[in-house]
Amino acid sequence: MENEQEIKELVIARLKTLPNNKDISIGSSGEFSKDELIEAVENEDQLGKKLIEVEMNFLRTLKDGLYYE
Amino acid sequence: MSKAILVTRPEYDYTTRFISAWAVKVIDFAKSKGTSVFDLSKERATKREFESIVEKKHPRFIFLNGHGDDRMVTGQDEEVLVKCGENEKVLKSRIVYALSCRSAKELGPESVASGADAYIGYDEDFIFMYSNEKRLRPTEDKTAAMFLESSNQVAMSLLKGNSAQASHLSSRRAFIRSIQKLLTSKVAQEDSSAVRYLVWDLQHQVCLGNREAKI
Repeated sequence: MENEQEIKELVIARLKTLPNNKDISIGSSGEFSKDELIEAVENEDQLGKKLIEVEMNFLRTLKDGLYYE
Repeated sequence: MSKAILVTRPEYDYTTRFISAWAVKVIDFAKSKGTSVFDLSKERATKREFESIVEKKHPRFIFLNGHGDDRMVTGQDEEVLVKCGENEKVLKSRIVYALSCRSAKELGPESVASGADAYIGYDEDFIFMYSNEKRLRPTEDKTAAMFLESSNQVAMSLLKGNSAQASHLSSRRAFIRSIQKLLTSKVAQEDSSAVRYLVWDLQHQVCLGNREAKI
Protein backbone atom coordinates (compact mmCIF):
# COMPACT_ATOMS: atom_id res chain seq x y z
CA MET A 1 0.00 0.00 0.00
CA GLU A 2 2.85 2.34 0.92
CA ASN A 3 4.49 1.47 -2.38
CA GLU A 4 1.31 2.38 -4.27
CA GLN A 5 1.17 5.73 -2.51
CA GLU A 6 4.81 6.39 -3.38
CA ILE A 7 4.16 5.58 -7.02
CA LYS A 8 1.17 7.88 -7.07
CA GLU A 9 3.22 10.71 -5.58
CA LEU A 10 6.01 10.08 -8.07
CA VAL A 11 3.60 10.22 -11.01
CA ILE A 12 1.99 13.43 -9.73
CA ALA A 13 5.44 14.99 -9.29
CA ARG A 14 6.32 14.06 -12.86
CA LEU A 15 3.01 15.37 -14.24
CA LYS A 16 3.66 18.69 -12.52
CA THR A 17 6.61 19.14 -14.90
CA LEU A 18 4.27 19.18 -17.92
CA PRO A 19 3.99 22.59 -19.58
CA ASN A 20 0.86 24.63 -18.92
CA ASN A 21 0.29 25.47 -22.58
CA LYS A 22 0.02 21.85 -23.75
CA ASP A 23 -2.92 19.46 -23.58
CA ILE A 24 -2.85 15.70 -23.85
CA SER A 25 -5.17 13.65 -26.05
CA ILE A 26 -5.76 10.22 -24.57
CA GLY A 27 -7.87 8.38 -27.08
CA SER A 28 -11.55 8.18 -26.38
CA SER A 29 -11.00 9.42 -22.84
CA GLY A 30 -10.67 12.94 -24.26
CA GLU A 31 -8.29 15.87 -24.03
CA PHE A 32 -6.84 17.00 -20.73
CA SER A 33 -4.87 19.84 -19.20
CA LYS A 34 -2.02 19.25 -16.77
CA ASP A 35 -4.27 20.01 -13.79
CA GLU A 36 -6.91 17.57 -14.99
CA LEU A 37 -4.30 14.82 -15.36
CA ILE A 38 -3.01 15.42 -11.85
CA GLU A 39 -6.55 15.40 -10.47
CA ALA A 40 -7.24 12.06 -12.17
CA VAL A 41 -4.19 10.48 -10.54
CA GLU A 42 -5.12 11.93 -7.16
CA ASN A 43 -8.64 10.51 -7.52
CA GLU A 44 -7.27 7.16 -8.74
CA ASP A 45 -9.97 7.00 -11.42
CA GLN A 46 -9.66 5.05 -14.66
CA LEU A 47 -7.74 7.84 -16.39
CA GLY A 48 -5.48 8.20 -13.38
CA LYS A 49 -4.63 4.50 -13.49
CA LYS A 50 -3.82 4.79 -17.18
CA LEU A 51 -1.51 7.74 -16.50
CA ILE A 52 0.30 5.78 -13.81
CA GLU A 53 0.74 2.93 -16.29
CA VAL A 54 2.17 5.30 -18.94
CA GLU A 55 4.59 6.96 -16.51
CA MET A 56 5.80 3.71 -14.99
CA ASN A 57 6.20 2.22 -18.45
CA PHE A 58 8.40 5.17 -19.42
CA LEU A 59 10.53 4.90 -16.29
CA ARG A 60 11.02 1.16 -16.89
CA THR A 61 12.00 1.90 -20.48
CA LEU A 62 14.53 4.47 -19.29
CA LYS A 63 15.95 1.91 -16.88
CA ASP A 64 16.23 -0.71 -19.62
CA GLY A 65 17.77 1.76 -22.04
CA LEU A 66 16.05 3.98 -24.54
CA TYR A 67 16.05 3.46 -28.24
CA TYR A 68 19.16 3.78 -30.31
CA GLU A 69 18.71 2.13 -33.68
CA MET B 1 -8.77 -4.57 -56.37
CA SER B 2 -7.69 -1.02 -57.23
CA LYS B 3 -4.64 0.81 -55.91
CA ALA B 4 -6.97 3.51 -54.64
CA ILE B 5 -6.96 4.47 -50.99
CA LEU B 6 -9.86 5.20 -48.69
CA VAL B 7 -9.33 7.65 -45.83
CA THR B 8 -11.81 8.30 -43.02
CA ARG B 9 -11.46 11.66 -41.23
CA PRO B 10 -14.15 12.48 -38.70
CA GLU B 11 -13.85 15.89 -37.06
CA TYR B 12 -15.88 16.70 -33.96
CA ASP B 13 -13.42 17.23 -31.08
CA TYR B 14 -9.81 18.39 -30.74
CA THR B 15 -8.39 14.88 -31.10
CA THR B 16 -10.20 14.16 -34.37
CA ARG B 17 -9.53 17.71 -35.58
CA PHE B 18 -5.78 17.17 -35.19
CA ILE B 19 -5.56 13.69 -36.72
CA SER B 20 -7.87 14.69 -39.57
CA ALA B 21 -5.78 17.75 -40.42
CA TRP B 22 -2.57 15.73 -40.39
CA ALA B 23 -4.13 12.98 -42.54
CA VAL B 24 -4.49 15.56 -45.31
CA LYS B 25 -0.71 15.36 -45.73
CA VAL B 26 -1.08 11.66 -46.59
CA ILE B 27 -3.90 12.45 -49.00
CA ASP B 28 -1.81 15.13 -50.73
CA PHE B 29 1.12 12.74 -51.01
CA ALA B 30 -1.09 9.98 -52.47
CA LYS B 31 -2.51 12.39 -55.04
CA SER B 32 0.98 13.58 -55.97
CA LYS B 33 1.80 9.98 -56.84
CA GLY B 34 -1.30 9.66 -58.97
CA THR B 35 -3.19 7.45 -56.53
CA SER B 36 -6.98 7.81 -56.40
CA VAL B 37 -8.17 8.90 -52.97
CA PHE B 38 -11.64 8.49 -51.50
CA ASP B 39 -11.78 10.94 -48.64
CA LEU B 40 -14.61 10.49 -46.15
CA SER B 41 -14.26 13.59 -44.01
CA LYS B 42 -16.54 15.03 -41.32
CA GLU B 43 -20.22 14.14 -41.94
CA ARG B 44 -19.23 11.76 -44.74
CA ALA B 45 -17.39 9.51 -42.28
CA THR B 46 -20.38 7.21 -41.79
CA LYS B 47 -20.74 3.46 -41.92
CA ARG B 48 -23.02 3.67 -44.94
CA GLU B 49 -20.55 5.73 -46.99
CA PHE B 50 -17.62 3.65 -45.78
CA GLU B 51 -19.13 0.31 -46.78
CA SER B 52 -20.39 1.74 -50.06
CA ILE B 53 -16.94 2.98 -51.13
CA VAL B 54 -15.26 -0.28 -50.11
CA GLU B 55 -17.81 -2.33 -52.05
CA LYS B 56 -17.87 -0.18 -55.19
CA LYS B 57 -14.32 1.15 -55.47
CA HIS B 58 -12.32 -1.73 -53.94
CA PRO B 59 -9.54 0.36 -52.37
CA ARG B 60 -6.45 -1.69 -51.59
CA PHE B 61 -5.45 0.55 -48.67
CA ILE B 62 -7.77 1.86 -45.96
CA PHE B 63 -6.49 4.58 -43.62
CA LEU B 64 -8.82 4.90 -40.64
CA ASN B 65 -8.58 7.99 -38.43
CA GLY B 66 -10.88 8.32 -35.46
CA HIS B 67 -11.78 7.16 -32.01
CA GLY B 68 -12.03 3.49 -31.27
CA ASP B 69 -11.65 0.74 -28.74
CA ASP B 70 -10.59 -2.90 -28.65
CA ARG B 71 -13.38 -3.96 -30.98
CA MET B 72 -14.17 -1.00 -33.24
CA VAL B 73 -13.15 2.14 -35.08
CA THR B 74 -15.62 4.98 -35.35
CA GLY B 75 -16.39 7.85 -37.72
CA GLN B 76 -18.21 11.16 -37.32
CA ASP B 77 -19.75 11.62 -33.86
CA GLU B 78 -18.56 8.14 -32.88
CA GLU B 79 -20.73 6.32 -35.40
CA VAL B 80 -19.32 2.79 -35.70
CA LEU B 81 -17.56 2.25 -39.05
CA VAL B 82 -16.16 -1.22 -38.52
CA LYS B 83 -16.69 -3.52 -35.58
CA CYS B 84 -15.79 -7.08 -34.59
CA GLY B 85 -18.60 -9.53 -35.15
CA GLU B 86 -20.51 -6.99 -37.22
CA ASN B 87 -18.73 -6.03 -40.43
CA GLU B 88 -14.99 -6.74 -40.10
CA LYS B 89 -15.26 -8.78 -43.31
CA VAL B 90 -15.44 -5.45 -45.16
CA LEU B 91 -11.67 -5.27 -44.65
CA LYS B 92 -11.06 -8.53 -46.53
CA SER B 93 -8.05 -8.36 -48.89
CA ARG B 94 -7.21 -4.82 -47.74
CA ILE B 95 -4.21 -3.30 -46.04
CA VAL B 96 -5.47 -1.26 -43.10
CA TYR B 97 -3.77 1.38 -40.99
CA ALA B 98 -5.90 2.48 -38.04
CA LEU B 99 -4.83 5.63 -36.23
CA SER B 100 -7.24 4.85 -33.48
CA CYS B 101 -7.06 3.61 -29.92
CA ARG B 102 -6.65 -0.05 -29.08
CA SER B 103 -8.24 -1.46 -32.25
CA ALA B 104 -5.24 -3.74 -32.86
CA LYS B 105 -6.21 -5.63 -29.71
CA GLU B 106 -9.29 -7.41 -31.06
CA LEU B 107 -10.52 -5.79 -34.27
CA GLY B 108 -7.11 -6.18 -35.91
CA PRO B 109 -6.71 -9.92 -35.24
CA GLU B 110 -10.39 -10.57 -36.07
CA SER B 111 -10.08 -8.66 -39.34
CA VAL B 112 -7.01 -10.65 -40.32
CA ALA B 113 -8.83 -13.88 -39.41
CA SER B 114 -11.65 -12.71 -41.69
CA GLY B 115 -9.31 -12.08 -44.61
CA ALA B 116 -7.76 -8.64 -44.18
CA ASP B 117 -4.31 -8.80 -45.76
CA ALA B 118 -2.54 -6.71 -43.12
CA TYR B 119 -3.65 -4.56 -40.20
CA ILE B 120 -1.38 -1.95 -38.62
CA GLY B 121 -2.69 -0.18 -35.56
CA TYR B 122 -2.31 0.34 -31.83
CA ASP B 123 -3.06 -2.19 -29.12
CA GLU B 124 -3.34 0.56 -26.51
CA ASP B 125 -4.57 4.16 -26.41
CA PHE B 126 -2.83 6.44 -28.93
CA ILE B 127 -1.69 9.42 -26.88
CA PHE B 128 -0.42 12.73 -28.19
CA MET B 129 0.49 16.14 -26.85
CA TYR B 130 -0.49 19.35 -28.59
CA SER B 131 -0.16 23.08 -28.04
CA ASN B 132 -3.49 24.49 -26.98
CA GLU B 133 -2.84 27.73 -28.87
CA LYS B 134 -2.64 25.68 -32.08
CA ARG B 135 -6.01 23.99 -31.71
CA LEU B 136 -7.40 25.90 -34.65
CA ARG B 137 -4.24 25.42 -36.77
CA PRO B 138 -3.25 21.82 -36.00
CA THR B 139 -0.72 21.39 -38.81
CA GLU B 140 1.32 24.36 -37.50
CA ASP B 141 1.81 22.60 -34.17
CA LYS B 142 5.39 21.31 -33.86
CA THR B 143 4.54 19.38 -30.71
CA ALA B 144 1.71 17.44 -32.38
CA ALA B 145 3.94 16.99 -35.44
CA MET B 146 6.32 14.75 -33.48
CA PHE B 147 3.45 12.30 -32.95
CA LEU B 148 1.40 12.63 -36.10
CA GLU B 149 4.24 12.80 -38.63
CA SER B 150 5.70 9.66 -37.04
CA SER B 151 2.32 7.97 -37.21
CA ASN B 152 1.68 9.13 -40.79
CA GLN B 153 4.90 7.44 -41.81
CA VAL B 154 3.02 4.11 -41.93
CA ALA B 155 0.78 5.40 -44.71
CA MET B 156 3.53 7.35 -46.49
CA SER B 157 5.76 4.29 -46.60
CA LEU B 158 2.96 2.05 -47.88
CA LEU B 159 2.24 4.61 -50.62
CA LYS B 160 5.91 4.48 -51.62
CA GLY B 161 5.46 0.78 -52.31
CA ASN B 162 6.94 -0.66 -49.14
CA SER B 163 5.53 -3.69 -47.34
CA ALA B 164 3.29 -3.52 -44.28
CA GLN B 165 6.14 -4.61 -41.99
CA ALA B 166 8.63 -2.20 -43.57
CA SER B 167 6.11 0.62 -43.20
CA HIS B 168 5.46 -0.27 -39.57
CA LEU B 169 9.22 -0.24 -38.92
CA SER B 170 9.62 3.03 -40.81
CA SER B 171 7.05 4.63 -38.52
CA ARG B 172 8.80 3.20 -35.46
CA ARG B 173 12.06 4.74 -36.65
CA ALA B 174 10.29 8.09 -37.06
CA PHE B 175 9.07 7.89 -33.45
CA ILE B 176 12.59 7.00 -32.33
CA ARG B 177 14.06 9.97 -34.23
CA SER B 178 11.60 12.28 -32.48
CA ILE B 179 12.53 10.78 -29.10
CA GLN B 180 16.26 11.03 -29.73
CA LYS B 181 15.94 14.60 -30.92
CA LEU B 182 14.19 15.55 -27.70
CA LEU B 183 16.74 13.75 -25.55
CA THR B 184 19.91 14.86 -27.25
CA SER B 185 19.35 18.42 -28.36
CA LYS B 186 18.88 21.63 -26.46
CA VAL B 187 15.12 21.56 -26.38
CA ALA B 188 12.86 23.32 -23.98
CA GLN B 189 11.64 21.33 -20.98
CA GLU B 190 8.11 21.70 -22.30
CA ASP B 191 8.99 19.74 -25.43
CA SER B 192 11.02 17.02 -23.74
CA SER B 193 8.02 16.16 -21.60
CA ALA B 194 6.47 14.63 -24.73
CA VAL B 195 8.98 11.76 -24.70
CA ARG B 196 6.97 9.55 -22.34
CA TYR B 197 4.00 9.60 -24.74
CA LEU B 198 6.13 9.06 -27.86
CA VAL B 199 7.63 5.99 -26.19
CA TRP B 200 4.14 4.74 -25.36
CA ASP B 201 2.88 5.07 -28.94
CA LEU B 202 6.03 3.52 -30.36
CA GLN B 203 5.72 0.50 -28.10
CA HIS B 204 2.06 -0.08 -28.89
CA GLN B 205 2.06 0.13 -32.68
CA VAL B 206 1.73 -3.39 -34.13
CA CYS B 207 1.63 -5.00 -37.56
CA LEU B 208 -0.68 -7.99 -37.96
CA GLY B 209 -1.34 -10.38 -40.84
CA ASN B 210 0.74 -10.62 -44.00
CA ARG B 211 3.83 -8.57 -43.25
CA GLU B 212 4.91 -8.66 -46.88
CA ALA B 213 1.63 -7.16 -48.13
CA LYS B 214 2.01 -4.10 -50.41
CA ILE B 215 -0.49 -1.68 -51.94
